[in-house]
Amino acid sequence: MALIECKEVCKNFGEKVALDKVSLEMKEGTIFGLLGPNGAGKTTLIRIINRITIPNSGEIIFNGHPMSQSDVEKIGYMPEERGLYRKMEVGEQAMYLAQLKGMSSRDAQAELKKWFVRFGIQGWWKKKVEELSKGMAQKVQFITTVVHRPSLLILDEPFSGFDPVNADIIRKEILRLKDEGATIILSTHNMESVEELCDEIALINKAKLVVTGGVSDIRRQYGNNSVELTYSDADGRHTEILSKDGESAPNDVLKSFIDRGATINSYRELMPRMNDIFIKLVKGNE
Amino acid sequence: MKIKNIGIIIRREYLNRVKKKSFLITTFLVPLLLALCYIVPVLLILNSKDKMKFVAVVDQSGIVYPTLESNETVFFADCSDRNVDSIKVQLEQMGYDAVLYISPLDTAAKTLSSEITSQKPLGLDLSEKIGRYINDAVESYRIASYKIDGLNEILEDVKADIKLRTFTIDEDGKESVSESGVYVAISLILGFLVYIFIALFGGTVMSAVIEEKASRVIEVLVSSVKATELMFGKIIGVALVATTQFILWVVLTIAIIAGAGSVLGQKVISGISPEAGNIVGSMGSGSSAMTSVVGASGEMGEFAVVLSTLQNLPIAKILVAFLVFFILGYMLYASMFAAIGSAVETQEDTSQLQLPVTIPLMIGYFLSIYSFNAPDSGITFWASMVPFTSPIVMLARLPFGVQTWEIVLSAAILLATVILFAWLSAKIYKVGILMFGKKSTWKDLWKWLRQD
Repeated sequence: MALIECKEVCKNFGEKVALDKVSLEMKEGTIFGLLGPNGAGKTTLIRIINRITIPNSGEIIFNGHPMSQSDVEKIGYMPEERGLYRKMEVGEQAMYLAQLKGMSSRDAQAELKKWFVRFGIQGWWKKKVEELSKGMAQKVQFITTVVHRPSLLILDEPFSGFDPVNADIIRKEILRLKDEGATIILSTHNMESVEELCDEIALINKAKLVVTGGVSDIRRQYGNNSVELTYSDADGRHTEILSKDGESAPNDVLKSFIDRGATINSYRELMPRMNDIFIKLVKGNE
Repeated sequence: MKIKNIGIIIRREYLNRVKKKSFLITTFLVPLLLALCYIVPVLLILNSKDKMKFVAVVDQSGIVYPTLESNETVFFADCSDRNVDSIKVQLEQMGYDAVLYISPLDTAAKTLSSEITSQKPLGLDLSEKIGRYINDAVESYRIASYKIDGLNEILEDVKADIKLRTFTIDEDGKESVSESGVYVAISLILGFLVYIFIALFGGTVMSAVIEEKASRVIEVLVSSVKATELMFGKIIGVALVATTQFILWVVLTIAIIAGAGSVLGQKVISGISPEAGNIVGSMGSGSSAMTSVVGASGEMGEFAVVLSTLQNLPIAKILVAFLVFFILGYMLYASMFAAIGSAVETQEDTSQLQLPVTIPLMIGYFLSIYSFNAPDSGITFWASMVPFTSPIVMLARLPFGVQTWEIVLSAAILLATVILFAWLSAKIYKVGILMFGKKSTWKDLWKWLRQD
């Protein structure tokens, strides 16, 4: 079932069109990658889902009903430009943001303590944000995004600013939250993490939806139907790229090699990298 | 809008500001300064009165010494048989503070010369007083030289000592003693207070908006609450801080003066004790008693009039009006400041944008300064009705007596303007807080206003 359904969402700022009839579906319990070059309209779409911006036309269906202001309590949003009050204490600030998301002060306190322990940052509660390093502040920001157990998480470039160790911690947390049933919108330029994490994606370019669907379907769709075959024979080990035209089934291809006395090491469908698809689609659009 | 969210925002704005060091410092320093302004002059007067000055007088004319009157502040000793210069060199040993030399009378020109020498400078009061005695003596001598019979009696007869007593009459026909100086002072204080509070706390709102935008926390905030909730929560939170500070200033100032009074003696606080006011007030109603008090002691008389005037001011009306006009005026300017703050990313970028907001505020203040000259003139009247100047000018007019309908009308116009401008500002604010990277101009603000 779709948690979020965007129906022909349009938004323009004066003359400039930011979103042009964008329709999308994000399934519950999946990670949805929102891709697109800078200025394509991703942030506008995210802000519309967050109800920060009101669309000119079209609507957002959340969990089966037209989205209303009270639904924002079920969303956790980490914007690309991170920000916390610099002069405020970490704990106090996290409490404030959690309460604005509708948590009672007691719940917020209990949940935050759990998260601080999980991230090993119990000692930071009384620290001011300006005393933290960028990476430390990012951790606090992540906690404030997820503390109210949102059913929809919107993460804009969640790994930027983290070192590899901490990026891995965040990656695991994202997967764990998905297992717990959260739906996650991931907006990123890091195509590797898209391949690794996302179930479905949508690519937006110049205010328009270019493509949406399952990651593997899209990769297959934009693949050039080739397979990579590795085999060994008397001359040693070989790798060959074969085009997979409908005529010869894999069985026949493999049989022809086996008949020549070769040993098959591997046979796999070659999938284009998301990176290449991205470049191809965005450039082709120009 | 969700009241619960606004409540959470107000709470943060309030507590965060009240806990700041700068808030604590200003909260305690200002009353200390105010109290000092009150205590120091009183102490000076008390101290100067305590010390009696001894003046040696070498009067070679023979007409001045008899007119010199010793009292509790100065004692004149006749040393006319001594040499001035010898007294000068041993002034201290002889126990004198000063020596006054009067030259022999020049009978042709009917004049004389005089000089006074002291080790420490004499007070202005004392030297003026002595000068007056000498002139009186010479004038009497000259008058006597005309040898007109009974002239002294005639002069005594024509001498006039009339004090203009001013009364105001209120709507019920009740007369009260008034002193326009007191009204001017109260008027200036009220105008200044409300101007400073609006400028100070309106500016605070603007910085707070800029801080949220610059630190980028704004995007997280508006994903949880509506921009208008955030704006009003902030404006109300800061208003509560202002009110807290104001109340603390009043309470602490009184506490410090009272505390100093108990240490320094009753005299310091006698000026503000209610009993003194009551006594003087009752004297004010019996007119003959009043005159006798004024006659008995000039200084005390003036003081009595001031107190009586204060007592006759419509204190409750002024307090209520102060609260209403301060809150509405602050709301008007704070919402405009919030809109401007939303359009910039640093404090430095505000100067050009905030000019159209600060100028009417300053005009209001300047008009309030001049309003005491003609509290009922056309320009003052209209300035107290036009919403951008009315919070300041109306308060400055209040001590001079303003018809209730005028106050209500002015407040109603102001309230309507506040609602209109809060709505307009919220529209600008909503768009502005999410605009980054480009320096905004008034043209942009106008564009945002027309966006939905």
